[in-house]
Amino acid sequence: MDKGENMENIKVNDSSNFKEFWYNNKVTIISYSGLLFCIILFTIVTPLTGQSIWSPEKLSTLMSDVIVTALMSVGAVFIYSLGNIDISIGKQIGLYSTILVLTGNATGSLLPGILLCILLSIVIAVINGASGPVFKIISIIPSVVVMQILSGIIMIIYSDLGTRSISLKTIDYSFFKSPIVMVVVLVIEIIIAVYFFNFTAIGKYTRAIGANKTTAMQSGISIVKYRIYAYIIAGMGFVLAALFQMGYTGSASDSTGTGYHMNVMIAIILGGMPVSGGMRSRISAAVVGAFTFSILDVGLPLIGLPTRMTFIVKASIFLIVVLLTSRKKYGALPK
Amino acid sequence: MGDVILEIKKMHKTFGPTVALKEVNMTLRKGEIRGLIGENGSGKSTIMSIASGKIPPTSGQMRYKGKEWKPTSMLEAQNHGIAMILQEANTIPGVTVAQNIFAGCESRFSKFGIVDMNKMYRAADDLISKFGIKHIKGSNPIDIYSFEDRKLIEIVRCLMNDNVEILVVDETTTALSMDGREILYKLIHHMAEQEDKTIVFVSHDMDEILEHCSTLTVLRDGDVVGELSREEMNDVEATQRIRYLMVGREIGEKYYREDYDSSHTGELALEMKNVTYKNIKNFNLKLHKGEIIGFGGLSGCGMRDIGRIAYGIEKIDGGEVIRHEKSIKTPLQAITNDIGYISKNRDSEALLLSATIEENIVLPSIPSLSKKGFISPKDEHQLAKNEIEAFSIKCHSGKQLVSTLSGGNKQKVSFAKWTAKESDVIVMDCPTRGVDIGVKQSMYALIEKMKREGKAILMISEELSELVGMADRIIIMKDYKVTKEFMRSPDLTQHDIIEYMI
Repeated sequence: MDKGENMENIKVNDSSNFKEFWYNNKVTIISYSGLLFCIILFTIVTPLTGQSIWSPEKLSTLMSDVIVTALMSVGAVFIYSLGNIDISIGKQIGLYSTILVLTGNATGSLLPGILLCILLSIVIAVINGASGPVFKIISIIPSVVVMQILSGIIMIIYSDLGTRSISLKTIDYSFFKSPIVMVVVLVIEIIIAVYFFNFTAIGKYTRAIGANKTTAMQSGISIVKYRIYAYIIAGMGFVLAALFQMGYTGSASDSTGTGYHMNVMIAIILGGMPVSGGMRSRISAAVVGAFTFSILDVGLPLIGLPTRMTFIVKASIFLIVVLLTSRKKYGALPK
Repeated sequence: MGDVILEIKKMHKTFGPTVALKEVNMTLRKGEIRGLIGENGSGKSTIMSIASGKIPPTSGQMRYKGKEWKPTSMLEAQNHGIAMILQEANTIPGVTVAQNIFAGCESRFSKFGIVDMNKMYRAADDLISKFGIKHIKGSNPIDIYSFEDRKLIEIVRCLMNDNVEILVVDETTTALSMDGREILYKLIHHMAEQEDKTIVFVSHDMDEILEHCSTLTVLRDGDVVGELSREEMNDVEATQRIRYLMVGREIGEKYYREDYDSSHTGELALEMKNVTYKNIKNFNLKLHKGEIIGFGGLSGCGMRDIGRIAYGIEKIDGGEVIRHEKSIKTPLQAITNDIGYISKNRDSEALLLSATIEENIVLPSIPSLSKKGFISPKDEHQLAKNEIEAFSIKCHSGKQLVSTLSGGNKQKVSFAKWTAKESDVIVMDCPTRGVDIGVKQSMYALIEKMKREGKAILMISEELSELVGMADRIIIMKDYKVTKEFMRSPDLTQHDIIEYMI
């Protein structure tokens, strides 16, 4: 009789593998399908209007549209996986871009600026990461404060300069405009991020903290330490994003980066990752989400949709994806 | 026999790939106290969760009071007279006791949309005192009460309507204090015998079931495998028969430790020196390698604090917790010094519900799996697989989410975290809470094996039989003080102990 039962169990095992996979990954599958749907749609429809989304020109437009959001969002996954939202991202990009232009012009090289930005990003990471648990406040508060401080610093810089925008004078920044470079840098960033997120304690711990802080603590995870690590890794992504933001036009202004934290949030949600973080956080969400939005930016005008309409269409698509992936049933949005 | 009140026909329920109920039929009658017993994952909680609107069935019909019954929410079921007290804590934090009791029914106390809070508090106090509970006030925030007291508040909430026809008590007693249990038992007998209501008592505590139920349904693997009448339950062989039905095989006599050898090595594993924390003053304890120290007492006696202090969760006001000459002040320090902790609050503290079984088991072991920062998924998988097999965790793969497991299997996972970590000192707060006999037996065997391997165990338990059966030394606490210590002995009975608890 025992044997018979075992046989039955084994049979259940085999047939349920697919079901199990679907059950655990349906949100991811739906988000990926969204991107896939856009790709297929534009591949079929754009040639009808005499253009192709796959033309080198359009692909390069796509890359320059997506690169900054993608670089930021991949980094931001570490913060979001904690269940935290960082709204200082935009102003960080603004300040880093400004620093890159200023130091570039002063020294004739981008390197000192990059190092300074990295240093600064670490300081910001420590403030954003540690102040929540140390002062027992929700994490969005420090990021609001940081955002305002950064806005203030940016304002002081530009009013001292007496201008609203600055640009590189001697440095050749065409390197950052190459779509090949963008692809390569993004791929490298993704590989490094995936490594840290999936194969080291940092990623595993940030997800655990996002899922349940008490359990994480009782399992020996130092909340403050790993929050800071997560913010530092994210900060590296922001510096990289700032480099491409500045590098596309070789300039920065007092409004550079404004509202970018929203782009990050949209990308991550579109990619099917819960804003509440936790175990379902994935790097791929950032990439898929950023590309889904950018492919709409590039593709919609190609199929004859007036530019003024794209926002409405994007909003509707965002709503559909959120309804499919982030409903409370799946616990994706904060309760 | 009373009239039929609820009829369940061909009830089928699947959770993803897991089949929880296989076309189950069951009939409930007025005035009965129906026991539902079965191992973890046998489906006993699932049936009543469906009947009370908590979860929808996959297929099947129900007829309640002669009409088709398809509840869409627990509130709807409660308004129609089916109330359920849940296994896990289910109160709303951050609001008052009264607001918890009357959640969803505030309109009873409102005038022009404004809720008269004083009226609500008074109503809550009246209700609470009707249950013979004296120490809980309706106007107090719920968070000041212990887990056990909050459970009592949940019971009050379930019964705030006078229209209750069926009360489902789902594994509630393990979460209650001794006096809380008495209140509950008295209540269900009164309801069934005096008011002709139906009680469904879900439990796997055999003694409790045999003492209080009028009919018993036994489930195994989502099937009803037997039904016993009161007469059959009175039979001397009843316990053996029920166990056989539940497990599907003879489980043998051995349950607790059989030896009475309370010796251990002289080597100190953990020491608590003059520990002072809130009401606990100058507490001292020496736990040796190969020793099991049991802590017993009523809820709120301070024994659970001792466990949390030993693991570095609570910041102590004075004194020291020492292992290997190092002071333990945080869980991280505890883990690095090979101490493990199994929390009583399984779902909220011990486990990551949204994570897989594998992710949960390996969590404390991540530092040791890490090779220059890299953690191989293969190693993780292997480590988890060993534990899943060792504990026979009922799942189809380690990738299954812990939230889909039954209570007992969840408990196995929280145990497995520390065996995987190979902790040398394990603090267990109610280690077999919500676990059925088959699993309990294997956990006791495991604890015994750990002792033989030289591990030191601090076992905090509300089940005296467990302490008598397993511990080398039993420390009884009352009002944050140690009232008595007992050494392991074949003559020791629960009776000897109880007087030092109350």
